[in-house]
Amino acid sequence: MVNTIKLVFSNFKYLILSTVFFSAMVIGLLILSEYIFLEPYVVSHIPSGTELGFVLILIISALSALVIPMNIFRINILKKSKQKMSGGIFGSVIGAAAGACSCGPIGFAVISTFGSVGATATAFLTNYEVPIRIIAIGILTITYFTTVRSLKVECKISQ
Amino acid sequence: MNKKSVIIGVIIVAIVAGLATAFSVPSSETVNLDMGRSHGTISTAMGSPLLGDPSAPITIVEFGDYQCHQCYNWFHNTKPAITKEYIETGKANLVFVDLAFLGRDSPKAAQASYCAEDQGMYWEFHNMLYNSQESQIDNGWANSERLKAFAFSLGIDLELFESCLDSGKYSKRVQYNNQQAREHNVRGTPGFFIVGPDSQEQLGGAQPFSVFKQVMDSMI
Repeated sequence: MVNTIKLVFSNFKYLILSTVFFSAMVIGLLILSEYIFLEPYVVSHIPSGTELGFVLILIISALSALVIPMNIFRINILKKSKQKMSGGIFGSVIGAAAGACSCGPIGFAVISTFGSVGATATAFLTNYEVPIRIIAIGILTITYFTTVRSLKVECKISQ
Repeated sequence: MNKKSVIIGVIIVAIVAGLATAFSVPSSETVNLDMGRSHGTISTAMGSPLLGDPSAPITIVEFGDYQCHQCYNWFHNTKPAITKEYIETGKANLVFVDLAFLGRDSPKAAQASYCAEDQGMYWEFHNMLYNSQESQIDNGWANSERLKAFAFSLGIDLELFESCLDSGKYSKRVQYNNQQAREHNVRGTPGFFIVGPDSQEQLGGAQPFSVFKQVMDSMI
């Protein structure tokens, strides 16, 4: 497993890609979930009772930053199928959507635009935010292990 | 009994009946709204009663939804410090204006707060709702029956409260407040305007106390 990670991230391009993915996801999700504010001052805080949500955001961002560059590596270097890549993207997207649609601007825009259908969708994503994020982590973890296994076989990496 | 006595008797009965009717009008029908009340550019006429000293130099206008969990976070994490350091010291006061958009129970909860106001219990009911908020939207924690149960637990006259809530007496008031939020570009809850003597500043989201302190100190 360590050898597989080394193989991918020894290429500086994938290390940069991973850093960009992690930074973009973690900052974006922390802003959407109101852990970071940009106006009128840049400030961050973790309100009491929201620690679990914060940790889940970090885990989703870290796993996305691991899984997506590994799959891009498979597609670019080994010219393999994009099937596993979709698992990583799907996990990242549902993990992100869970926290985005709440009482903030995105939830407000969805409800204003789509009316009761938007309200139902927003309520679902808000009510089940933690379980959805845990499912997203599950999808990303499964994608990670299947990607590592594929890379071991395809690159003939020893245990 | 002559005709004159009958007429006098009828007049007396009419006056007594009139007085009895006047004094028996339920208090829920009495609405004391200052239609000219505004803070900065925002009409707060239909908002909550003012919390704190009316002559305080700063007014915090909060747009909120009783089912919004970020409003809950702000209520529990930021508001206590603001209350202690600014509202109780007479530096600021606060008015709550509804932006009830999250679910079908949100407008009803907002209306219920004004039914409680009819009996002088607005802030007690407001606090009760934010202390009782459950994590799921529209799961029944703020439906009509629960709102009535909250009123009962606060010792509010339930008959008056029920008649107010069931009649939808304050639905237009809540709609007006929602409209104010939209007109002032509030795009989510909680949303705030800090209105000082010479300026007003908009803050979005459940920002920490340090941000409110910095903004308000720069206005005093």
